[in-house]
Amino acid sequence: MIYVIDHNDSFTHNVVHQFALFDKVECDNYNEISEKKIQQASTIVFSPGPGNPRDYPITSKIYKRFKGKKKLIGICLGFQHILFCEGGKIIEQKKIYHGFQSNIKVVNDKSLFKKGKIFKVGRYHSLKLQEPFKSNNFEITMRCLNSKVAMAFENHKEKIYGFQFHPESFLTINGNILIKKILSA
Amino acid sequence: MKKFNQLAEIHQSGKPYIVYKSQKGFDLYTNFSQKIILNNKNIKSFLNKKNRYKFKNTDLFIGFFGYELLNNLIGVKVPKQKNFNFPKGIFYKPEKKIKLSNNLRYNKKSYESGNFKININKKTYRKIFNRFKKKIKSGETYQIKICTKYKTQSKINPLDFFSRLSSTNLAPEAFMIKDNNYSIISCSPENLITKKGNNISTKPIAGTVKKTKHLNKLKALNYFRKNIKETKEHNMIVDMERNDLSRICKVGSVKLSKQKIVEEYKDLFHYVSLISGKLKSNIKNLEIIKAMMPGGSVIGCPKINTLNLLNNQEKENRNIYTGSFGYIKFNGDMRFNIIIRSILNFKDISEISVASGVVVDSNANHEFNENFLKAKALIDLFK
Repeated sequence: MIYVIDHNDSFTHNVVHQFALFDKVECDNYNEISEKKIQQASTIVFSPGPGNPRDYPITSKIYKRFKGKKKLIGICLGFQHILFCEGGKIIEQKKIYHGFQSNIKVVNDKSLFKKGKIFKVGRYHSLKLQEPFKSNNFEITMRCLNSKVAMAFENHKEKIYGFQFHPESFLTINGNILIKKILSA
Repeated sequence: MKKFNQLAEIHQSGKPYIVYKSQKGFDLYTNFSQKIILNNKNIKSFLNKKNRYKFKNTDLFIGFFGYELLNNLIGVKVPKQKNFNFPKGIFYKPEKKIKLSNNLRYNKKSYESGNFKININKKTYRKIFNRFKKKIKSGETYQIKICTKYKTQSKINPLDFFSRLSSTNLAPEAFMIKDNNYSIISCSPENLITKKGNNISTKPIAGTVKKTKHLNKLKALNYFRKNIKETKEHNMIVDMERNDLSRICKVGSVKLSKQKIVEEYKDLFHYVSLISGKLKSNIKNLEIIKAMMPGGSVIGCPKINTLNLLNNQEKENRNIYTGSFGYIKFNGDMRFNIIIRSILNFKDISEISVASGVVVDSNANHEFNENFLKAKALIDLFK
């Protein structure tokens, strides 16, 4: 079972529907987490949402508690949240992407996806990861073709994955393939 | 007896009635046997109540949910605001339904009114605008709609107004309510819920451009496609409405049936999409209403955080504005619009509310003027 933790977002249920193509999905708000469901889950997904990772200390606790024990996936705010918990700084960006379709590129040969491959994806983010960023086993694997902003990380050892863009958006082409691949990794 | 005479007769008789746009003309509902005034306490039982379907065309409740009621229903609080105690929601049980043509033919122009005053001037608007823009930069909202209100003292004949409005602007979700102590006239173009059996759809509007001599429908489509700001705003609403439908629909059933088309109205063109899905089994109407209302396209995104930002900013109650009008049939089918482009007449005051969106690259002047453009078609009725 996949447990999606919602951060009061208006895109979370698109995420739920996307993951539900592959497995049973449960979804609760971050402040109404069910201990039973979280124990049962094989994968925990941190949803998109408004604000900054530091606004959600409960989510940080969940991340730290299950890191290395379950597969963890972050989307948008969730992506930022995982990096924040790994010591990354999340900052405002000059150019903001809300409802924007952009080309992103696989830039790392440790990725599950072929290096050099380009994806068309939907983006909704005010904030970004400040770089350089370094944390054990974490690799930035995709970047925006134009701005070079980090768009995905992969940590194969501890099975932690994150996308800054929205694989569930109608603006993302082949989003289901992206999710299928990290779920089967 | 000619049908328009029937309308005039019902109007003259002074009894309450409702007119709602149908596919071919209008439907008139009257002879109300029940009137339910909604509040936070009775709304859930109203929506959960099972009414026996007797195969009559009046087996339905028709009416509206105000904005505050819909906020409270999803657990969002509205702080104390200036208001004139207009009911939070009212539904009626009609015993008579009459089909009317598109031409209402009521030619008795009559009203008294003062001049409309706006509740937020340009300077204040700009201040609010800049405050919200900061919230977008810090990621607290991605899009937010600032509401402005035009008000005047008035005494109007709602049927006169509605028939004049419909003759120039035949909006697909237009409606009018005439009750003893208030009336509402609306040329809403926006459908929020169409539910038939297990099928549900929503048709959000995001993107508006003023009609000119040189701008036809095709050119308007080109304008929207090339305009990155309008496109992004629209994309966001599409994903948000997909999300709201996904709460109540079967996995894999939510589809974008019409993507970014242009619809033409009296003074403007709108950029529209149609999203549909198949309801999960055992979903109740209360859950559908909680998932879909208040309609996202007139609020901003993400819904909860943006509602909180709006409610803390706005000093005056929205009343009906961005609430929903429509009906719930006894067989469970529903149709609801979003209440925009409307005039609320209550206690000898006419009130028109409008809103337009702030996204990261919007311009305060442009949005302030867009608000006026939206209000103008209604204010012109007072001329």
